[in-house]
Amino acid sequence: MSQKEIDILKRALNREKLARKQAEQILEDKSKELYSLAEELRESNEKLEELVSESSSELKGVFQNLVDAYILIDLNWNVIKMNTSASNLVGEENNSEAINAFEFIHVDEQKNAKKAFNTLLEKGSVSNFITRVRPNDKDIDLVSINVSLIYNKNNQPIGAQAIIRDITLETRYNNNLEAQKQKYTNVIANMNLGLIEVDLEDRIVMINSSFEKMSGYSEEEIIGKKGKELLVPEEQHEFFDKKVEKRVDGISESYEVQVLDKKGRKKNWLISGAPNYDNSGKLVGSIGIHLDITELKKLEKQKEILLAQLETSNNELQEYAHIVSHDLKSPLRNIHALLSWIKEEEEGNLKENSLTHIDLIENSLEKMETLITDILNYSSVTSDGKDDQLVDINSLIEELHKIIIVPENVKIIFLTELPNLRGNRVRFQQVFQNLIGNSIHYMDKEQGLIKVGVEEIPGFYKFSISDNGIGIEEKNFEKVFKIFQSLTERKGSSGIGLTIVKKIIDHYQGEIWLESEYGVGTTFYFTIRK
Amino acid sequence: MNKALNILLIEDDKIEIMKFNRVISKIETKHSVKEVNNGEEALEYLENNSLPDIILLDLNMPKMSGIEFLTNLKQHDTYKYIPTIILSTSDNPKDMMECYRIGIAGYMVKPLKYEDYVTSINTLIAYWSTNQLIKK
Repeated sequence: MSQKEIDILKRALNREKLARKQAEQILEDKSKELYSLAEELRESNEKLEELVSESSSELKGVFQNLVDAYILIDLNWNVIKMNTSASNLVGEENNSEAINAFEFIHVDEQKNAKKAFNTLLEKGSVSNFITRVRPNDKDIDLVSINVSLIYNKNNQPIGAQAIIRDITLETRYNNNLEAQKQKYTNVIANMNLGLIEVDLEDRIVMINSSFEKMSGYSEEEIIGKKGKELLVPEEQHEFFDKKVEKRVDGISESYEVQVLDKKGRKKNWLISGAPNYDNSGKLVGSIGIHLDITELKKLEKQKEILLAQLETSNNELQEYAHIVSHDLKSPLRNIHALLSWIKEEEEGNLKENSLTHIDLIENSLEKMETLITDILNYSSVTSDGKDDQLVDINSLIEELHKIIIVPENVKIIFLTELPNLRGNRVRFQQVFQNLIGNSIHYMDKEQGLIKVGVEEIPGFYKFSISDNGIGIEEKNFEKVFKIFQSLTERKGSSGIGLTIVKKIIDHYQGEIWLESEYGVGTTFYFTIRK
Repeated sequence: MNKALNILLIEDDKIEIMKFNRVISKIETKHSVKEVNNGEEALEYLENNSLPDIILLDLNMPKMSGIEFLTNLKQHDTYKYIPTIILSTSDNPKDMMECYRIGIAGYMVKPLKYEDYVTSINTLIAYWSTNQLIKK
């Protein structure tokens, strides 16, 4: 081998060595690069894994804690997986996952469930399938199920996942609401009160059947019309407008109006109107409840007329009593005068006997006059309350001393302070005058004592006037209050006094009665409304 | 000193008139009494005669009632000055109120007993005869 050849080989070897070295270097670099890349990949893989496991555990949490029940079943209804809600639904004892979901469908619903399952197979999903279940918890009854199929890689269905929502309460609530609504709708429809709802333009939106009857218009005829124009006579429009304005201001009130029904008959309605708001609180119109008070009004008017008539005839009667009694008194006075003249002119000529007779005639005349006066008083006890005032009974009895002569041997004492009574002063005076007067007249004891007292009982004052006079026999207790029942012949007694007292007490819605022991004394009690 | 009065008595009852005249005739002072039976007659009398000093008026009379007469009297320019005393059988508070409202100089309820009547009339006449009255 020539040197030349050797040199060539050497150079070639050197180049080769260099190249190999370079290649080695490149390889080394590349493998370094690869290693770091692999490292990177591993790290990111780990990260990804972490992320994946994180999110899957998150999902698991969501899945477990889902409020709605979640179950995963195979195509034979066998439960593969269920969450807490689902196991709560089926019950603790059934918590093993080797159960069949079909058993939990209510027997009556199983047919429907099968149908729904077929639909699921056909379409891939079923939503809002409402069915009854046989739950662990008695409070749960109705559920809504959303279910969809799960497929394998070959697009073959292998199972189904379902979300089951308990809608028992919701349904019950809605049913309740519906029932309530129905109830009030029925009440409104059937109540005797006419109901009307109008919008802000007074156009009728709704009426109930009572309103149809009251107004004579049917629902079709009246809806959309203006209530005012249809029912309210023109002269009342202004009044009605004012009422509508109040509704706009949010004021509720009741008032009476006169309206015309479909046949043009005048009706009196009592309307209770209130503003009507929508859900957001905006005024949308008003609601009115109407009561037909036409008959009531008629009765009221009749009552007024009757009362007026009664008052007139009462007045006439009183006038009549006055006239009659005074016409009766005139002849008495005349007889009295004529007798006096006879006595005067025939003085000395009249026999003793005749004088006695004239005296008896005069006595009879006086008795007759007292009688007429008392009858007049009796007939006048029909106070109309016009002269009612607060009467101080203490001062009234003081004043009685001017009318009644109290003998020296009789003492009148007050057991308590007497009250003020509201009423007619003259009437109260008549009561005390008669009772105290009687006590004085029928006093047979040397030392007469008349006690006047009062006590308060619920709603009434109970007065008592007791004496130690002759007393009344028990058989006469009732008799004393009857008209013309004077128990003894007494000058100036007509037997009307106690009858007048009773009539006055009746007038003040009180009662009168007596307790008495014959020979010992009498107590009269009477009550007068406060 | 008591003056003699010219009295117009408006009364429809004969015996009442007799009673009144009998009482007056026994009084020392000679009063003169003119009797008429009702309000219409009274107005006629007032028109045609010199006016009386006082009028005694019964309330319950036929034709024109006492209150009607009183109303007419008090609306008259001259007659309204004549003191008018009611001699009534009635103490009906309604009548009394009405009379005082229209305007009267007194209201006397005739008593039952003649003796009481005599006393009342004597007192009444004695009072008015001591009064200073418008003479025309």
